[in-house]
Amino acid sequence: MEDKNLVQFQNVSFRYESAEGEEQNPFAVKNISFDIKQGDCIAVLGHNGSGKSTLAKLSNSILIPTEGKVLVDGMDTADESKSYDIRKTVGVVFQNPDNQIVASVVEEDVAFGPENLGLPREEIRKRVDDSLKAVGMYDYRFSEPHKLSGGQKQRVAIAGIIAMLPKCIFFDEPTAMLDPQGRKEVMKTIFKLNRELGITVVYITHFMEEAALARKVIVMDNAEILLTGTPKEVFSNAELLRDRGLDIPKISSLSRELKREGIDIDGNILDTAEFVDRISQLLGDK
Amino acid sequence: MIKDITIGQYFPGNSVIHRLDPRVKILLVFAYIVAVFLCKNFYSLGLMILLLTVIILLSGISLKLIYKSIKPIFIIVLITSLLQLIYNKNGDVLFEYWKIRITTGGVFTAIFTTVRIAALVAASSMLTYTTSPTMLTDAIERLFSPLKVFKINVHSIAMMMTIALRFIPTLIDEVDKIMAAQKSRGADLESGNIVDRGKALVPIFIPLFINSFRRAYELAFAMECRCYQGGEGRTRLKVMKVHARDFVAIFIMALVIAGIIVLNHFFAAVI
Repeated sequence: MEDKNLVQFQNVSFRYESAEGEEQNPFAVKNISFDIKQGDCIAVLGHNGSGKSTLAKLSNSILIPTEGKVLVDGMDTADESKSYDIRKTVGVVFQNPDNQIVASVVEEDVAFGPENLGLPREEIRKRVDDSLKAVGMYDYRFSEPHKLSGGQKQRVAIAGIIAMLPKCIFFDEPTAMLDPQGRKEVMKTIFKLNRELGITVVYITHFMEEAALARKVIVMDNAEILLTGTPKEVFSNAELLRDRGLDIPKISSLSRELKREGIDIDGNILDTAEFVDRISQLLGDK
Repeated sequence: MIKDITIGQYFPGNSVIHRLDPRVKILLVFAYIVAVFLCKNFYSLGLMILLLTVIILLSGISLKLIYKSIKPIFIIVLITSLLQLIYNKNGDVLFEYWKIRITTGGVFTAIFTTVRIAALVAASSMLTYTTSPTMLTDAIERLFSPLKVFKINVHSIAMMMTIALRFIPTLIDEVDKIMAAQKSRGADLESGNIVDRGKALVPIFIPLFINSFRRAYELAFAMECRCYQGGEGRTRLKVMKVHARDFVAIFIMALVIAGIIVLNHFFAAVI
């Protein structure tokens, strides 16, 4: 893995413009700094209104920071002449798949991005097929989006972004509107993109279990970064998280309880398999 | 009830009709409409119906769908044919009562207009049934691109149509949901006179509008994220090419129009 900073947030603050004569809106994000390295897999965790969705829009110059700077591959998002190249580098998948799909046929929708890039027809064809295969929706290429399930629609939306071959994709609560089945499909797709295609992935979520699967977690609270670190590091701050109304994954919660009861177990286990292993080990000892 | 709307619906297929160049198809539908209005008697009209039947059979679209497309205009057809029946005084008198006099001329024109309107609607539905909305708007964009001379942004109009068509099913689903939500809170949507029912629609349309604005915002963001910058420099996945079959179709249409003119000339006019 290259150790290169792909996206850099440098002391970024942003507030939505308020109507004239009205009080200024509070900062949606305040003094945020972090770097995203090539190949990273990052989860952004936080409540509704904690500013996490604003992060996604700041990342590809849909929103321009009020203060501070966002650099994508060294390009400043405030520079309007670069916004095209920035959006080619960083794609964003939003929460509601219905509101991201432009065309009435799956493959035509996936082609929308490459068409905007002005690519030759053969190249568009290849990218559409590759992206649909990557998300496992190739068999549905002639379907109408409104006949698909939520998870399938969201995977089509993801295909629409990867057809533009971005280096990094921000997912803004991609599973929030889906049923458990759809949620699983989409998370599986996201990790596949990261592992197999080497796409840098940042996903915003309020599900602890989803956050626990990332390589790095950023916890947002009240427009600021509360914690960053590996999932283990972050979820070891259970008291702080609970204090802010966030929880820790159920499995870590359970392991903590057991540890408190005096059982010899790591109190920060995040993985069910690891937990089961440890328990059977303990039982085997006796 | 609301799910019955078939306007702008597309039924994928791989027939000759489906594969015709959409631009040619649009022009042929226009030609068909003009031809139907050229018809003066039942022989020429019969020729048009024959052509339509062949098209429907070739396309593999079920007759039920054709019937569904004609159904909504039933009232219009009924009113026009009634008017024809009452006001046309030509031909032999069949039936007379008070001031109403029904003549053979009236009956013929009533049937004639009914068939004519049905043929028009069925033919235009065949266009949307067999052409994907994206291809359709794409074709419109290309057909009307000469209008750029008058500074009309054809691409934007075509894009708006694509999006409008794409969102019809989404919005229909949404109306169903809102209706269910309002009913569950005791809204009465099914009784009362027309005014009451109209008023009952307000709590359905307000949330629908507000949601549509929100959707529009999100869609605009999503389109920007995918580097949409208007029509300039855009390429297409599907290239439109006029094939031999398109020329055959044009040739058949020309023959039929010629046939109509000939039939009009040799047989007495009904209308």
